[in-house]
Amino acid sequence: MKFTGKVEGLHVTPRSFLPMRNMGSLELVEGLGIEGDRHSMNEAFHSDRPEEGRQITFFEAETLEALKRDHDIILRPEQHRRNVTTRGVPLNHLVGRRFRVGSCVVEATRLSTPCRHIEQITGLEIYEVLLHRAGLNAKIVKGGQIHLGDFIEPE
Amino acid sequence: MVKSIHRVTTRVMRIDQIDARVRLLHLQDPDGWDLPPFTAGAHIDIHLPSGLIRQYSLSGDPARGDTYTIAVQRQDDGRGGSRELHDNVIAGDELLVSLPRNTFPIGKDAPVTMVAGGIGITPFLSALPSLMASGQTFTLHYCARTVERASFMPMLKEMGLGDRVQFHFSETGPRLDLERVISDLTEDGHLYCCGPTRMLDAVELKSDDLGARLHVEHFGVAAGADPAYEVLLARSGQVVPVAPEQTMLQALRAADVDMPASCEGGVCLECRCRWLDGTPIHRELTMTLSDRDEWITPCVSGSAGPRLTLDL
Repeated sequence: MKFTGKVEGLHVTPRSFLPMRNMGSLELVEGLGIEGDRHSMNEAFHSDRPEEGRQITFFEAETLEALKRDHDIILRPEQHRRNVTTRGVPLNHLVGRRFRVGSCVVEATRLSTPCRHIEQITGLEIYEVLLHRAGLNAKIVKGGQIHLGDFIEPE
Repeated sequence: MVKSIHRVTTRVMRIDQIDARVRLLHLQDPDGWDLPPFTAGAHIDIHLPSGLIRQYSLSGDPARGDTYTIAVQRQDDGRGGSRELHDNVIAGDELLVSLPRNTFPIGKDAPVTMVAGGIGITPFLSALPSLMASGQTFTLHYCARTVERASFMPMLKEMGLGDRVQFHFSETGPRLDLERVISDLTEDGHLYCCGPTRMLDAVELKSDDLGARLHVEHFGVAAGADPAYEVLLARSGQVVPVAPEQTMLQALRAADVDMPASCEGGVCLECRCRWLDGTPIHRELTMTLSDRDEWITPCVSGSAGPRLTLDL
């Protein structure tokens, strides 16, 4: 599979439910997660059921545009609750594959499932329209720093 | 006990003692991160160190993203929640709270008339900043038995509300003329009331014609879509009460029942368990009809009767 996409947004939050903050760069730690993010600190809602593949999560900018186009729902990048907003990356096709984000490498483990909390936090009725396009979970195979604008490509 | 990762962790940053009976608690994230947003009229559950869970309206400005402010009136003969918040909670303590919920959204693109009885002023305090900033037409009637019991009168006077706030003291002057308030509403005006049951009953009795333009909020208890019921766990014999506006999953977790769950929206079915007796209300999105005869997902489903028995 060939594609060349980009990092369009980077987002972290230190604890479950708290709003995510937009960042210019993120530090990825191999086998652990993202520095300062809830998943790496066992502070996420699902941290009582650890999952290796939840070290970093991705979400397509194109989905945000589809929500606006098809449902008149405005969901901002920092509201989808994933760590990386991508553009030009077919996330749903990448389960089981490795891909590069800047100088880092991740391995996709499964599609993300939407969580009802996103409706409580955003006040938007978006749970059902996010089914099958709620993003991608991955583990970090090669750590390092990633930045806005970094290329995303197959390994 | 509820896990901290399943709630919002806050720290009591400051306590303002308004008078002998009422104190304001200002809650923030321990690291100063913004808290989940809320809208005027919203409330949160406070998980007290003793295990009690109590609902309080958010009284701060929703535009201030880093603080939840609650006003707590000490009820000496109450159920214990307010006494604990007055006697045992100090600045620096951590409190787990729920996400804000709003069953009493205040503010429409229409004139707003608010009637507050006593500590029922609290949800309106969160609405005043945006009402004032927007230039929207509004009136606040603040009722109390005496001047001394109108704990927030000084604060309201300092806000520069002018004649948009009116005070009514039943022991020393005429009670609020509810019929007049209702008859003064414009055709598109909305009436919002929060106060003791007697006041709300009177408002509802006199407001038949208002329909959806009448909004009432009872003290401390959020109006829920589902009535309360209880869940009997067949294997342990434990009985778990499910309160209005609480999901069965939340109630089970609060009772220390270990329930795996993921999406909490009736899709992943990770929390499904067998039901044995009762009349379940199925709200799963993905469970087949035949499976519903045997299984239920506590994250979204409920009970049509007073008791549901689960194979747990």
